[in-house]
Amino acid sequence: MNVKETNAAVWRSVTAESLRFFGAMSASASHEIRNKLAVINEKAGLVEDIAAAIRSGRAADPDRLETQARKIAEQVRQANRIVGALNRLAHTTDQDQGTIDAAELVSLVVELHGRKAAMAQTTIAASGPEIGTPVRTNPFLLANAIGVCLGLAISGADEPRSLTVVTEPTEHGVRIRIQGLSRVDRDEAPGEGRPPSLDALLNILDGDLEEDHRCGEIVLDVKPANPNTTGVSHE
Amino acid sequence: MKVLLVDDEQELVSTLAERLGFRGVDVRWTTTGQEAVAMVGRERFDVAVLDVKMPRQSGIQLKKEIESVQPEMKFIFVTGHGSEEDFRVGSAEADRYLAKPLDIEALVRALKEVVAT
Repeated sequence: MNVKETNAAVWRSVTAESLRFFGAMSASASHEIRNKLAVINEKAGLVEDIAAAIRSGRAADPDRLETQARKIAEQVRQANRIVGALNRLAHTTDQDQGTIDAAELVSLVVELHGRKAAMAQTTIAASGPEIGTPVRTNPFLLANAIGVCLGLAISGADEPRSLTVVTEPTEHGVRIRIQGLSRVDRDEAPGEGRPPSLDALLNILDGDLEEDHRCGEIVLDVKPANPNTTGVSHE
Repeated sequence: MKVLLVDDEQELVSTLAERLGFRGVDVRWTTTGQEAVAMVGRERFDVAVLDVKMPRQSGIQLKKEIESVQPEMKFIFVTGHGSEEDFRVGSAEADRYLAKPLDIEALVRALKEVVAT
């Protein structure tokens, strides 16, 4: 395979992975929103039930109604936050390259993985430096790469299933460390168990991934974008 | 009729329990399968309404555990996921399968129907 064919194969893999990632994030967010709507539906119904009971002669209890109204507003706030996160992810596709704060992007991807983590009874905390971690990259593809890494980390989290994602600037870009994976007292071949699509993403992003099984850590290094590598392929 | 509600979303399950209470249904509720199994060990129930997708164990796994304690119990599955696969599995495994958001009157009808069968 020549360089052009290799490049085209990498982009095909990245395109398929991007669709899978966006689909998974959309499905997860829509499921969470539906759960919030289900709660709002029941709360509204309960308010109706309470009103009907008052009409039938039961003593009015304004505190009970006020509590339900407050809980409905809280569910709306939570649903709005989920919609906001999905909207922010959608807007990462606005440009093939841009300077973004990697720590903010990590927080976004962590938030979008909330349901997946909860289902796996795993907590994820993100932390970054106060000064910010700017990097010029393809924002959506970096989010996708972080998402794949988080997926690996969630399935490999060590007890008590608590992951930490640390974003830090490096001399050449940013480093994202996912800590809290099960420690394995052996070396594995680089890339073992890693989805091929992640390698394609790393190729496009000019990133490196190191899985330190002895430390229970995944380290993603991303260098600033080369204008010729992270844009949409027209091959 | 005594009903056990299990859903990991506490606000949903507690509100649903209150609404069923308004309709004369005797309800107990919990957010975990572990507690549900413990409750089934202490009390007899006619029907369990289970969320299909929960952390730690699915509604389908929980149904099997409950059945080992109270084999005569009936089951209604509830899901917010709504995929065709969920619908197929849920319909095959439970006496009824309902999608969220729930219609409370439809739930009450389903409870009465499964108890009557």
